[in-house]
Amino acid sequence: MASQLSFAGFAWKNLWRRRLRTLLTLCGIAMAIGAFVALVGFSRAFEHEWLRMYESSGTDLAIVEKTFLNTSLEESVGPKLSALPVVAQARPMVFNLIDLTPEINALVYGWQADSYELDSLTLTSGRRFRDGQPEILLGDILAGNLNKKAGDTLEIQGSTFTVVGIDHGGSALEAGAVIMPLDQLQRLSSLEGKVTAFHVRLRPAPAGEAQDHYLKRAQAQIEAALPGLHAIPAAERASNNQIVLLAHAAAWGTSSIALLMGILGIANTMAMSVFERTREIGILRALGWKRGSVMLLIQTEAVVLGLAGGILGLGVGWGTLRLLSALPQTASIVSASVSPLHLLEALGIAVLSGLVAGAIPAWRGAHLSPVEALRHD
Amino acid sequence: MTNSQLEVRNLCKSFDEGRIEALRGVDLSITAGEYLAITGASGSGKSTLLQLLGGLDTPTSGEVYFENAVLGTAIGLDAYRAHRVGFIFQAFYLLPTLRADENVQVPMLAVSENARNRAERAQALLCEVGLEHRLNQYPNELSAGERQRVAIARALANNPSILLADEPTGNLDSVNSARVMEMLVGIHQERGMTLVVVTHESEIANAAPRHIRIRDGRIAP
Repeated sequence: MASQLSFAGFAWKNLWRRRLRTLLTLCGIAMAIGAFVALVGFSRAFEHEWLRMYESSGTDLAIVEKTFLNTSLEESVGPKLSALPVVAQARPMVFNLIDLTPEINALVYGWQADSYELDSLTLTSGRRFRDGQPEILLGDILAGNLNKKAGDTLEIQGSTFTVVGIDHGGSALEAGAVIMPLDQLQRLSSLEGKVTAFHVRLRPAPAGEAQDHYLKRAQAQIEAALPGLHAIPAAERASNNQIVLLAHAAAWGTSSIALLMGILGIANTMAMSVFERTREIGILRALGWKRGSVMLLIQTEAVVLGLAGGILGLGVGWGTLRLLSALPQTASIVSASVSPLHLLEALGIAVLSGLVAGAIPAWRGAHLSPVEALRHD
Repeated sequence: MTNSQLEVRNLCKSFDEGRIEALRGVDLSITAGEYLAITGASGSGKSTLLQLLGGLDTPTSGEVYFENAVLGTAIGLDAYRAHRVGFIFQAFYLLPTLRADENVQVPMLAVSENARNRAERAQALLCEVGLEHRLNQYPNELSAGERQRVAIARALANNPSILLADEPTGNLDSVNSARVMEMLVGIHQERGMTLVVVTHESEIANAAPRHIRIRDGRIAP
């Protein structure tokens, strides 16, 4: 019995005739999609964890400088902020990314000892720190990675701190973080009298006023009372703080370069393939294949490359995230979770990459003159 | 209006911006079911004439008619090649990545036949050319004669009314040449198909009921 030849089967046979080239191209696009899944997945998970941290502490607004980088603001703003009628609590905070050991770095938060944000943490051992004292809390994951327990000491940037407690927070960021008195981190960061932001809990919205409307009104009231400052809803702050923005920029920048290389790889493979198969394309045209059918065949081959590379890339990306989340150097800021939507987006990008990469070779192949193509050696 | 199936009027074809004139005003009429041999020296323009008859190329001037409709305007060249003509080439031009039965299915992929019908028809055609035992062989596993028989089966895939053969025996030994020509003539007679064969071989040309010679781009008197 004769076997059935399908359009897709024909496309696959064309790809498989040059196995090594096809496999190398697949590796290229797999690495590109893997980079996208891992890097963009990481930066999104990072943003998500940031939001969870705000939500678990009950922060409604973050108050920052009204500048692009909003680096720091005066701590003395605090009392004016607290005096506003909509504000229930306003707490200064500093955060930084600090190397704890040559292998391990972690987010370090500076909070006041009576900050409401500490209330959302569960102490699994020890006690809270005191203001003005070289004392720290370690997130449980970080404590495990550092092999520290309550009562141990840890040297941070030349200063010795006592681990007074181990905490379990509402987000992976807290689980991998150091929390210390605000004044201690200000000293370590040379930010005396300055803070990164104020975190604000609002008073409950008046009866009859929608929460969104109340939030906007509170923002406007704070910004009017404190010119030069910006009141940002917690969800927005989670996505636009400097570290998250840097993570997003690095992730998209690196992924874009990797994707561009992947697209160029497919385009090169398809261009070579069309050139080598010039006579065969002439045969197809002689046998009645329309230009559109030839284009479709070449584009199908490019999309199959993109899709197969994309599927491999999902595995590469997920594996990379798993690895990063297990390494002590990165475990505190990398979560292994990837949303299904992100995976679908990655596959969509892989298919789109194939389409883009195949477009010019397909157009060229389809517009070959049958007679000229048949004469090609 | 004429009774011709294929007709060319004052057909000219030049290449290299007019520096090479392959055809210089050819007039030719071919009736349905006719068997015509075209001969001529290398470079005389006989293959160019066949390519224009088959809609593989367009003339520089003059027109090709299929059943009184102008090729390329009244009838699209792609549709004409897909449904009306079948080509057989000297070099076979089978696709090396496909098995014999798959090669025969390639023209059918262009005309929306369903997969099962395509496979059944390919098998029937390969049986017709005596290759029922070679369905699953790749071209490089077939002899030259077998490859040309696969190419004949492929040319018949979409049931065309015209077979155009360009030096179909040019790469074959005498035994296979005779077999292939016998097969082509048999198909022409059994199916009532028009058969146009371009050849160097006088024996083949003389066996055709009608024989024209091309010399310097014109039909020799």
